[in-house]
Amino acid sequence: MVAGNQEKGWNDPPQFSYGLQTQAQGVQKRNFLNKRVPPPQLDGSQVSLPSGAPLPAKPLSPTLPLAPPPSTVVLPARRLSAVDSTALSASAHTECEASIEDVMGLLDWALTACRTTVKRQVCDEVSKRLTLFQEMWISGKLSSPVKKRMYYLAQELKKQNWDSADETHRSLIVDYVNEVSQWMVGVKRLIAETRNLPTEVLNAEGPSPKEDTTQNTQ
Amino acid sequence: MATYQEFIQQNEDRDGVRFSWNVWPSSRLEATKMVVPLACLFTPLKERPDLPPVQYEPVLCSRPTCKAVLNPLCQVDYRAKLWACNFCYQRNQFPPAYAGISDVNQPAELMPQFSTIEYIVQHGPQTPLIFLYVVDTCLEEEDLQALKESLQMSLSLLPPNALVGLITFGRMVQVYELSCDGISKSYVFRGTKDLSGKQIQEMLGLTKPAAPVQQGRPAQPQDHSISSRFLQPVHKIDMNLTDLLCELQRDPWPVPQGKRPLRSTGIALSIAVGLLEGTFPNTGARIMLFTGGPPTQGPGMVVGDELKTPIRSWHDIEKDNARYLKKATKYYDALANRSAVNGHCIDIYAFALDQTGLLEMKCCSNLTGGHIVMGDSFNTSLFKQTYQRVFTKDYNGEFRMAFGGELEVKEMGLGGTSQWKICGINPFTTLGIYFEVVNQHNAPVPQGGRGAIQFITQYQHSSTQKRIRVTTIARNWADAQSQIQHIEAAFDQEAAAVLMARLGVFRAESEEGPDVLRWLDRQLIRLCQKFGQFHKEDPNSFRLSESFSLYPQFMFHLRRSPFLQVFNNSPDESSYYRHHFVRQDLTQSLIMIQPILYSYSFYGPPEPVLLDSSSILPDRILLMDTFFQLVIYHGETIAQWRKAGYQEMAEYENFKQLLQAPLDDAQEILQTRFPMPRYIDTEHGGSQARFLLSKVNPSQTHNNLYAWGQETGAPILTDDVSLQVFMDHLKKLAVSSAS
Repeated sequence: MVAGNQEKGWNDPPQFSYGLQTQAQGVQKRNFLNKRVPPPQLDGSQVSLPSGAPLPAKPLSPTLPLAPPPSTVVLPARRLSAVDSTALSASAHTECEASIEDVMGLLDWALTACRTTVKRQVCDEVSKRLTLFQEMWISGKLSSPVKKRMYYLAQELKKQNWDSADETHRSLIVDYVNEVSQWMVGVKRLIAETRNLPTEVLNAEGPSPKEDTTQNTQ
Repeated sequence: MATYQEFIQQNEDRDGVRFSWNVWPSSRLEATKMVVPLACLFTPLKERPDLPPVQYEPVLCSRPTCKAVLNPLCQVDYRAKLWACNFCYQRNQFPPAYAGISDVNQPAELMPQFSTIEYIVQHGPQTPLIFLYVVDTCLEEEDLQALKESLQMSLSLLPPNALVGLITFGRMVQVYELSCDGISKSYVFRGTKDLSGKQIQEMLGLTKPAAPVQQGRPAQPQDHSISSRFLQPVHKIDMNLTDLLCELQRDPWPVPQGKRPLRSTGIALSIAVGLLEGTFPNTGARIMLFTGGPPTQGPGMVVGDELKTPIRSWHDIEKDNARYLKKATKYYDALANRSAVNGHCIDIYAFALDQTGLLEMKCCSNLTGGHIVMGDSFNTSLFKQTYQRVFTKDYNGEFRMAFGGELEVKEMGLGGTSQWKICGINPFTTLGIYFEVVNQHNAPVPQGGRGAIQFITQYQHSSTQKRIRVTTIARNWADAQSQIQHIEAAFDQEAAAVLMARLGVFRAESEEGPDVLRWLDRQLIRLCQKFGQFHKEDPNSFRLSESFSLYPQFMFHLRRSPFLQVFNNSPDESSYYRHHFVRQDLTQSLIMIQPILYSYSFYGPPEPVLLDSSSILPDRILLMDTFFQLVIYHGETIAQWRKAGYQEMAEYENFKQLLQAPLDDAQEILQTRFPMPRYIDTEHGGSQARFLLSKVNPSQTHNNLYAWGQETGAPILTDDVSLQVFMDHLKKLAVSSAS
């Protein structure tokens, strides 16, 4: 959750991450804050203070020394706050260890696979954008969460988890549009084209070295 | 026996219907005497995760003037395979596919739990959804950049096979040819000359020379190879369109000192409407207009380009001094109607500090089911997130948007049908439908009967399927004289408040403000006279039963609301607030009428409190939701504790939690509301506390504070009438034999 742009819009609301937003949209609204109190005038009684509230013992005026808040009173029931718990953003704080070689290796593998069937011009356009991505990474223009998520996206692409890769691309463009807008569409197209490839083509391109090692250990 | 509360909730959950009266008066005269009209709020596409659509077509009554859909209220003769229409009493044969039915083998649509059912019908070609961006380039650099990024982002949120198109406008209007080869061409139009749909299609080369229309297939979309120059599948041109958007520049025409930029919004919209009209009539399509200022030239202009002439205010309109108002409104109204005929909807995203002409342009969205979103700048979270939410998905991963909606309502007895075009529609779109009981007083509906109404909503689902949702409901008729207590108990005061408010808003569009308020007051007094219990001329004896207990309070807050009061709001703001008020569901509409106020304290869990100045206490945190604004207000002592930093100390962890609780609740609202509300975090004495102070009932003011004797709550500096005074007057008038 990031604060809104108070300079450009009065009381601009905070901005939520893509993960938090989609999480909230999936569930039906709880509608919990929708109760009203009938006015007392109709049953003849006087206006009363909100129920359960003891009358303030002493008027707390700023001229008197401030009494501390009660520290032993029963706590108000606390709702589980929606924590930004997506693994993706949580990992944003840790130092990014993914290297551009790892990420580009996987993206290039996918692009090479595409070159077998997809129009050359499209592949070249994708390639152009991947190069831009690589340059921005190397010149330090990408933030750590973007790098992390791109690493994750490349892994998912390799594993042929298309939906997950696509969802990660969406989370990147929604949350970091100013960092990724120039090249992300290339990644988007790469995911779309790769998922349309016949499985033979994908498998023929050979498993990545990483998968080799896991197979060896088995 | 369930309570009426439960009955009402069940019906809303299942059918998306809330009636003002859940027992119906049996004659026209009796209906009139009940003051609040027999009406309902209907949410045609209410989300029903438990209701998977069926994959066949509805069975229709064979009487050509009826054509009601087979439903659980129909009488069925399983042996003869006949069913009697419950609207026109016509006896119908079941179609051959129903040969195997029996009382133990019923199709879904005959089961009582399927009073609402959805059919997937497949005929005609499937056409992809269409999104046509119409982008103002007379923006500040920062705003244009933010808008471009949001548009690029949206390409990732669209369905991959959706068609997209781009029109930009400033002094000129440019229509872009989209191609995959990276060369972009555009057609340039002058922003001052009005063009007919046909002219636009000719200029864009969309009309095929003398190609004879194929017989029997007139409604087919035209040759797509022609239109595809302007509308292409997003998965094909996403890279080029991203680049194209990236390269968009601010309108290059110089803007002299003291002038507004020349903005041809009217022509740009006209071209968008004409383009879709010629290429994809009756197909799900969305025109998205993004604008950062008022139209200043050509047809549809709302203000001239001289900055020294301000855009019309309410004052100008009252004095009949708004030069362009009528002409512009008429122009946009015509565009809106053309768009509606073709089933296309128009969204307006207007982000600027000054007015942008929403008053004149609102019909474009109001008549086509489009969104209107208004804010200060495209570079705000309010815009970015609201725009993202246009593309939200439901529990099935399907877009929460539907197209080409058409509603048909069938009423019993008449066999008549009323039809409306809704065009753009989403799961929250809620219509107010007002009924008329036509039976004369001397020939009332026979006792003991039930009245039925059928709602048939046809629409294009976001998956491009054509679907039909059918809701059939019934309520008892009652004699308003002998059974008045039944009718009274069946009053839904929440629905009634919203339905009356919608009538009020409708009147406010054409009548003077004070006249509307007087009308509302008269209705309220009459309702109290009819349903209140009292001794004549004794205001203190006045009582309303529980089913009416909140109603006067709703009317009190409605009178003060921005939907009926234009004071402090620009004409654009009023249009904006009213636009949302007449389309949201009951819960949201009610929040707009009477904001929700919750109080957080050490004394227990959060609780709803009166929207009243007496609720503003030093040791409370208040959360107020007005729909358009979320306000968190820290009472005086809380604010002092916070300033002193108690929340940082371990032994005051509970104080920290108290501070956090309303933030969490607010966050939950912020995450789902459309459009994003403004978010105000303030405290006692803070300048922004005015948002709370202007909404609460001023029960304590500078005028009566000392008479009150006790020093609780917060006095409001206002001469507005309080709820107490309002109620006293209401009681007096209700019990008076003179009125």
